[in-house]
Amino acid sequence: MLNQEPFLQLFLKYITRYWPRILELTWQHLFISLIALSITLVICIPLGIYLTKNEKLSPYVIGAANIFQTIPSLALLGFLIFIFGIGNDNAIAALFLYAMLPVLQNTYTGIKSVPRHLVQAARGMGMTEYQILVKVQLPIAMPIILAGIRVATVWIIGTATLASAIGGGGLGRLIFSGLASIRNEVVLAGALPATILALTADQGIKWLQNYLDPKNRAIRLAQKAEIDELQKTAAQRGRE
Amino acid sequence: MVLFEDVSKVYEDGTRAVDHLNLEIAKGEIAVLIGPSGCGKTTTLKMVNRLENCTEGTIKVEGKDITKVNPVKLRRNIGYVIQETALMPHLSVAENIATVPKLLGWKKSKIQKRVDELLELAGLDPAKYRYRLPDQLSGGQKQRIGVLRALAADPDVVLMDEPFGALDPIAREKLQNELLQLQKTVKKTIIFVTHDMDEALRIADKIVLMRRGRIEQVGSPEELQQNPANDFVRDFIGEDRLSQIFPDTSVEVVVQDPRIKVSPKMTAADVLDIMEDEGHETAQIVDSYGKWHGMALLWLLKRAAKQNEKVTKGAKKDRRLYIEDGTLRDAAEMLADQDLPIPVIDENGLFRGVVTHAGVARLTISRLTRYRGKEGK
Repeated sequence: MLNQEPFLQLFLKYITRYWPRILELTWQHLFISLIALSITLVICIPLGIYLTKNEKLSPYVIGAANIFQTIPSLALLGFLIFIFGIGNDNAIAALFLYAMLPVLQNTYTGIKSVPRHLVQAARGMGMTEYQILVKVQLPIAMPIILAGIRVATVWIIGTATLASAIGGGGLGRLIFSGLASIRNEVVLAGALPATILALTADQGIKWLQNYLDPKNRAIRLAQKAEIDELQKTAAQRGRE
Repeated sequence: MVLFEDVSKVYEDGTRAVDHLNLEIAKGEIAVLIGPSGCGKTTTLKMVNRLENCTEGTIKVEGKDITKVNPVKLRRNIGYVIQETALMPHLSVAENIATVPKLLGWKKSKIQKRVDELLELAGLDPAKYRYRLPDQLSGGQKQRIGVLRALAADPDVVLMDEPFGALDPIAREKLQNELLQLQKTVKKTIIFVTHDMDEALRIADKIVLMRRGRIEQVGSPEELQQNPANDFVRDFIGEDRLSQIFPDTSVEVVVQDPRIKVSPKMTAADVLDIMEDEGHETAQIVDSYGKWHGMALLWLLKRAAKQNEKVTKGAKKDRRLYIEDGTLRDAAEMLADQDLPIPVIDENGLFRGVVTHAGVARLTISRLTRYRGKEGK
């Protein structure tokens, strides 16, 4: 290294000087990731549901998603240049293809794992097929579907750093330019916010999973019962 | 009322799951469909709410041909209970019970009232159980909630597909009794599928014994036991009943009426006279409400008579079994200890009968002779 200054000092200097730029790139990064995630959810959850009703198709579709997932992400980005050209569109398309599998697979497996007798009971009580899906299958499959979404989200945020390799935005810009100019402080200035984003998203979804966990629902219901009881006794006292 | 008119279910490969079935189930009646597996009993049940469609004939519910009604609408008006306690695991007890009323668009306050009313009907404290999740309930409680859920929207007809099949014998019997109690209040037309002949004999108004998609015999439990139509019916009743007798079977199967039953108002001396006349060592003291006040014993009674006491002074109350949880093993142990009748009461203290040495012996003998008869064949 030509520079003799300690690394930490260099890093702090860099971020105090360039923080508006870092913030802008973080925002871009988040934007690309969110768009890619939204597209993944909007396409893969309904597709996963559709596959549970057309089982013959499922090995082909899930197989295809599996293939995309095994292609190295950088290679996939390069390949997609032929279709989407250079820029964020290409990156978003690649991130979508890359993140398809966990969401698709978990939606499919989650819904398939709902015990048949529950579906039969729901139908026997007079639910329409749509009501069975929304009131029974999706809520019961939700923990499994969320686990898939959690994996996909972390993948997308991590892989979005590669977007800049094909002319897209995001924190990858800092990482790649830092690598090219052998300036580790710049690499870190890109990698650290990306890591924080990924960890925050991961923890956020984890919290949601926890919230939906039946054990925690039981605790909330018990609290509700207690409140009911208190109100009742309060009302009784009021009357007396 | 449910009416089957020449109903058949033929699968594409030509197998006839149900074959020209004619059956009328009256309003407020419990009809039990029973038979060996594959006899078409479950298919018959499922055709009523169109989870299976019949391929020939017509089924009428409350006079209406069910193929003329939208299946979703039809099912909301028919209660449905299945074996695998199919409560929704993500919904609380109250939400589970409220399923059909919610589908029917009842008002929230009306639903809440109905849920509490049903929980109370089943002897479950609403404040305690309303917010429980199914995983926090025992198997018996779950199935109780399953039954309540089927009754929630007050349907005329309730279908039950082996509802108590997954429970242990004691819980099963308890729920059967509760169902009979409940039925006294709700008076539904119930179609009940089981493979357990004891269950059928206990709860049915009408037993429909099926084999290979056809009805072998229809009749009251007594009719089937006393006049079985053919060897199949006889074997099916016999075999199944015997296979159900274990040390853990309820004492109910051997409970009989006592030789002497007296009122608690009588004096010890009067009862002593009766007992000496009959040559019996014990008498059961039961009041006009059916409540049990003890078992009078000859030697205690003699002492009480000398002191001009009431009969209750010459009685013991500690020797007894509860019909809800007393088993044949308990009875056998008590009889081995002391050769006196065992009074059997229920949890409300009502007298149900006695278990005697002779009664248990009769059961054992009938079991042995039946087995020998079978080996001889």
